[in-house]
Amino acid sequence: MQGHILPAIMAVMMLGLGSAQAQASHSIWDGVYTEAQAQHGEALYRQNCAYCHGQTLAGTFETAPLMGRFMPYWSGTTLDVLMDYVNMAMPLGRMGAVSRADDADIIAYILKVNGLPAGSGALAADAAALQAITFDAARPKPAPPPEKPPRQRR
Amino acid sequence: MGLGGCAAAGSAPAPAPVKMISSVSIEDRVPPLAPIRAHPDRLFDFKVCIRPFRRQGPRLDTEVIGDTLVVHNYGHGGSGWSLSWGSADMAVQKAMSVSPKEIAVIGCGIIGLTSAITAQRAGAHVTIYTRDMLPRTRSVRANGSWTPDSRIALTSAAPANFGETWEQMARMSWKTLRTYLGLPGDPVAFSDHYGLSDTPRVAGQPRAPDPNAAPLPPRTWEGAPTQNSDFARYNDRIRDLVPQTQVLTDDNNPFPVKYVTRTSGLFFNFNEYGYLLMSQFFGAGGKVEMRDFHTPAELSTLREKVVINCPGYAARDWWKDRDMVPVRGQTGWLIPQPEVNYGLSYRSVQTLSKSDGIMVIALENGDMKGYNDSNESVRRAESEQAVRVLEELYSRFPTNPI
Repeated sequence: MQGHILPAIMAVMMLGLGSAQAQASHSIWDGVYTEAQAQHGEALYRQNCAYCHGQTLAGTFETAPLMGRFMPYWSGTTLDVLMDYVNMAMPLGRMGAVSRADDADIIAYILKVNGLPAGSGALAADAAALQAITFDAARPKPAPPPEKPPRQRR
Repeated sequence: MGLGGCAAAGSAPAPAPVKMISSVSIEDRVPPLAPIRAHPDRLFDFKVCIRPFRRQGPRLDTEVIGDTLVVHNYGHGGSGWSLSWGSADMAVQKAMSVSPKEIAVIGCGIIGLTSAITAQRAGAHVTIYTRDMLPRTRSVRANGSWTPDSRIALTSAAPANFGETWEQMARMSWKTLRTYLGLPGDPVAFSDHYGLSDTPRVAGQPRAPDPNAAPLPPRTWEGAPTQNSDFARYNDRIRDLVPQTQVLTDDNNPFPVKYVTRTSGLFFNFNEYGYLLMSQFFGAGGKVEMRDFHTPAELSTLREKVVINCPGYAARDWWKDRDMVPVRGQTGWLIPQPEVNYGLSYRSVQTLSKSDGIMVIALENGDMKGYNDSNESVRRAESEQAVRVLEELYSRFPTNPI
């Protein structure tokens, strides 16, 4: 019995952590998905997306790549916009056939391939949480440290 | 090998009875026609297009988003190439009503590009914002023939005055396309088109259904078309512009098929025309910025406060236009044969010989084909089957008597 409860508690904690992370505005560079989620996303990607976008996400002449120009093209938005697009417009020919939860995992995989770091909290599927995550093409510069008071001259 | 045409009268000493060449007036005789080398292994490319169809016709209205005037110009179904200049003219008139110095155009398909050039000709500085340049847009996945009322609207949904709007667009486009005729590389050209049929076609009667065609998909929602006649037709309004169909008599029919008609049609050579339009755009100081848009609110990031919105099918997601219905079309491309200067239709297969290849398209079920199908992946077997129809047709011509 304990063997079942422990993972459940951990999952609840992770979910809690995830949503707590999502509440504060942060960037895709802040570790917004987990490695396990991206791995599940990879399997889903191969199943639902690779046929058009390719095994390596490089796209084709007709199909948009999900790397390279993908970053500047989505820069300036928040992740809920990407989620809406993926969920409503994809997969082409059977739009909306993949659940938002699975779409979140696919997005996690795409972020991973684009060099964005994994973190300890999973990417949530709900719009409010995703809206708090900004899509920045480059890692935002850290805020400058507070200025030190000038040293007193003796 | 020429396909029929004028057979030379012999000058042999023991004259066989000389058959009259033809009773057909000289100007109407079918010239020698080069055969299409129609074999599936000569298919070197496949394209799948999605016609951006709206039951009520293209979206041409304006709206204000924040401090930006948005002039919509999208949703031309299977008529985008044909109507582009006329539609651009209407959009630019609306855009220029507020005398902007700068205009942004969203999208670099044929509607976006002609809108941008038209705006330049009206005196504006134009930047095209697009995620793809013309050769990679959905526009160039079309077949490229002048078809101004192909899947442009449904009769039941089009506004009462749309016929006039359409006619204005068609006539303006026709006049503008005239200025692209005869240029090097033939960006726009005419060719003859032969309609071949095993059965007689009665004027005014719809074509008999093709027994080999797959059944139509079930009607999926209220208001969806169920038959070809649900699509609005306006070509009668421009009968004075385009040549009518001529029935070929038996003594003027080079094909091994009983019933043949001929007409002439305008078509676009995408590479030459696209290159020329891009050159004109850049030559007039146009700029292109590669980017994508996801929500209308992003327009506020643009410098320009007047925007002509030409996203084509992408409007479904970028502008959340749920009236947008995808109509899938697939073309197969045989290796170019410049000597083939005609197109034909036979058993629901249509060809068009262009500079970048001989286009082959299967059109069973007419305008209904591909309705509400947004699958852009290639079904190779469909194009191969279409080529086999042509292969069989050409195999019936007499062997070349070299």
